[in-house]
Amino acid sequence: MRKHKNKFLVSAAASLAFSALAGAASAETLIVASPQVPEGFDGDALKTHTQKVVVQTYENLVVYGKKMVDGQMKNDPATVKPHLAESWKISPDGKTWVFKLREGIKSPYGNELTADDVEWSWSKSFAQKRTGNFIARVSNVIGVKALSKYEVEFTLSAPSSIFLKALTLYVPGIYDSTEVKKHATTEDPWALKWMQSNTAGFGAYHLETLRPDDQAVYVANKNYFGGKLHFDKVIYKEVPSEASRVTLLKTGQVHLIDRPSIQKVVDLQKDSNVKVDRASGRSIASARMNPKCEPFDDVRVRQAFNYAIDKDALNKAVFAGQADIAKSVVPPIVDGYNPNHYPYDYNLSKAKALLAEAGFPNGISEPIKLLYADAFWHQEPVAIQVADMLKKIGVTVQPTRVTTSEMRAKGSPKKMSMCFFTWEDGPIVLDPVYTMYLISHSKGVSNRAAYSNSRVDELIDKSREELDAGKRLAMMDEAQKLWVTDAPWILTTYPATFEAMNPKLSGWVHYPDEHERWRELKMD
Amino acid sequence: MNFSQFIFRRTLMVIPLLVGVVFLTFMLVRVGGLDPVGLLAGPTATAEEFDMIRKELGLDQPLWKQFLIYAGNVVQGDLGESWLSNRPVLEDISSRSLISLELLFWGIGLGTLIGVPLGLRAAFNPNGRFDQTTRVMSLLGFSIPTYWLGLVMLFVFFYLLRWAPPGMGRISLMVSPPDFITGSYLIDSLLTANWRAAHSAFAHLILPVVCLAIVSAAPIIKQTRAIALEVIASDSVRYARACGLKTKTVRDIVFRNSATPIITFVGTEITGLVGTMSLIEYVFAWGGLGQYGLNAIVRGDFTAVQGYVLTLALFSVLVFLVVDIIIAIIEPRSELT
Repeated sequence: MRKHKNKFLVSAAASLAFSALAGAASAETLIVASPQVPEGFDGDALKTHTQKVVVQTYENLVVYGKKMVDGQMKNDPATVKPHLAESWKISPDGKTWVFKLREGIKSPYGNELTADDVEWSWSKSFAQKRTGNFIARVSNVIGVKALSKYEVEFTLSAPSSIFLKALTLYVPGIYDSTEVKKHATTEDPWALKWMQSNTAGFGAYHLETLRPDDQAVYVANKNYFGGKLHFDKVIYKEVPSEASRVTLLKTGQVHLIDRPSIQKVVDLQKDSNVKVDRASGRSIASARMNPKCEPFDDVRVRQAFNYAIDKDALNKAVFAGQADIAKSVVPPIVDGYNPNHYPYDYNLSKAKALLAEAGFPNGISEPIKLLYADAFWHQEPVAIQVADMLKKIGVTVQPTRVTTSEMRAKGSPKKMSMCFFTWEDGPIVLDPVYTMYLISHSKGVSNRAAYSNSRVDELIDKSREELDAGKRLAMMDEAQKLWVTDAPWILTTYPATFEAMNPKLSGWVHYPDEHERWRELKMD
Repeated sequence: MNFSQFIFRRTLMVIPLLVGVVFLTFMLVRVGGLDPVGLLAGPTATAEEFDMIRKELGLDQPLWKQFLIYAGNVVQGDLGESWLSNRPVLEDISSRSLISLELLFWGIGLGTLIGVPLGLRAAFNPNGRFDQTTRVMSLLGFSIPTYWLGLVMLFVFFYLLRWAPPGMGRISLMVSPPDFITGSYLIDSLLTANWRAAHSAFAHLILPVVCLAIVSAAPIIKQTRAIALEVIASDSVRYARACGLKTKTVRDIVFRNSATPIITFVGTEITGLVGTMSLIEYVFAWGGLGQYGLNAIVRGDFTAVQGYVLTLALFSVLVFLVVDIIIAIIEPRSELT
């Protein structure tokens, strides 16, 4: 009897060891650990984990060119290359664009991409009035029509310098409308219900199975037009705890994990079983000052606050020294970034002098609330650092927590009622006009703090319709200068993006939407 | 009162309780400061789009009207759709309940198997060495944060020793799960003679089950000891001893008389441990109801939270009903009220 028991123990231990080994993946399967399985697969519904995977299925008419920078492959904001489209023509007035689609592109269902698919997909986005509609609005698109099997025409209300780059986005995505229509009903004409657990695109991967709260399994599109894919299967596994994700990566059980927090990045960088790639300079962490509130109605106060922040110390304290100091509202990843207009190097005496000039010789003792939420992990530490540093010029700041949804609501274009708050914004289109239109225009959706300068508005409006790259960049340069002199934000840093992966994994390229493309990854 | 009358009365009493639960959770999630519209609309939404989503979700209606609609649907067995995944909440909950029940069953089962004998043994020799040792152990079990315990177990048994599989759910990614029969991977794979899946499912169960067993055994040890001590001090046991009955026979009497309160206590333990379960599921990526509920709360998925809380309430009621039935069977003297 005793012997028997021992045998059982041995076999149990062996089974444990066996399972641990069996967990190691074969070379053709990529295993990604994410906090959550996608909430659905409709790119127009802006849900965090949906966005991460729709880029794998829905590819667009054009893509950015690539360039090597310091040994790292990057997207080149200055060039746009054909992708689903093979060429395009622009009318002399810049309002009509005709794209010729590449022939023979097929979805996993075997249907060929036609101009009807593009027209159907854009109609879907127009009707839903969500993200895709927003992109259409920003790039002045008012209509999309199939001219022939392979020719599709975009009509714009005015020429747009943003339009072509906006077509690199995954939304409005191009759907295999032949397949999707099979699942549409009268109440659900766009088959959104079906898209909750199915995909139909022309891109590299498509959804094979979905187990909610567990995993999504993707397989390669066997008809993919863009060449051989290294991974023929991708398991997108839900592992809610970050500590568990990190352990799984360190032991090689998964190959890629969702963007880790900065503390984990520092830990992972020391581990030889993990590779951490870094890309910098897309978005801006800031404390925004609403010029409609006292004391921010005085530009000297806003400038004084900028001088009073020791950006290097803040970078060290909050971002483990891994971010870059922000010097313009146009981030470095975008064309036309110019840090040379930035005057606010850390200078307490200048800050005090400016405050005194503004009528506050002894500082501001009445507490100013600095709101933060948890939409970005750094909002709270940045608020605390800013409050601490402003003490040195006699300003009392109270960091105050609010919910993310309250912050979004109060920062929406119609309200913009918050006076002082921390936030992060960055463009998903690599274009200075797009960036400034969203962030610095008085009607911009990411303005949030009621910044308004009629000359800046004028420059942005003109550039939106200006197709000559040189002229646009010159106008954006002037706008950056005006903006930084107006100092509506305390610029702090451009937080970096870190992607932690198996050391054998290569080919990662940073996209402005922050999502990796599985089709570009390889295992050595 | 006979047995079927008793059950019928008990079931009737559940109704006002559930109405209260439905009302309370409905109100609590709405005054909690969560706004799913902000999450759904995303960063580029305009004020009009905010309004549109609010309207689609019916959140523009007055609160009392929202409640009436919800309550009417619940009565018809419709828990609504998750606002984030658009899947029916009832479907989500029923598939996940089985997953959690399996873990709960093995975990509490093991915890009880360990806890009751230890507690009894400690009570037979109070303040002896065995009692001291179990007291320290149960104190440890009480004070260890579950979340931390799970992570440490993964760190030691998976990361350092490589004995256990990774905390990535219920079965290895490389093994296809067995066909659905009961919902338990272990039992289903055994039933279908799928040994590879059974191996994997068993190995994946060990750490979370042990984790749950440790957490549940601690109070069971302590409570069993207290209950047994009381029974030992009772007149009947003292009389039995005075009559010179064998120690073994006295112990049997103690065990019989302790059974009712111990079962009642384990019942309350089960209902109390569902919260702990969420954390264990979270750490081991178990994908059960606890993880679902936790996710729903974090993301402000109102309908899912309501469904989750309602399910837990129903579950508690069921557990107590089962406890009552068991007690009625093993203790015919107890009154059915």
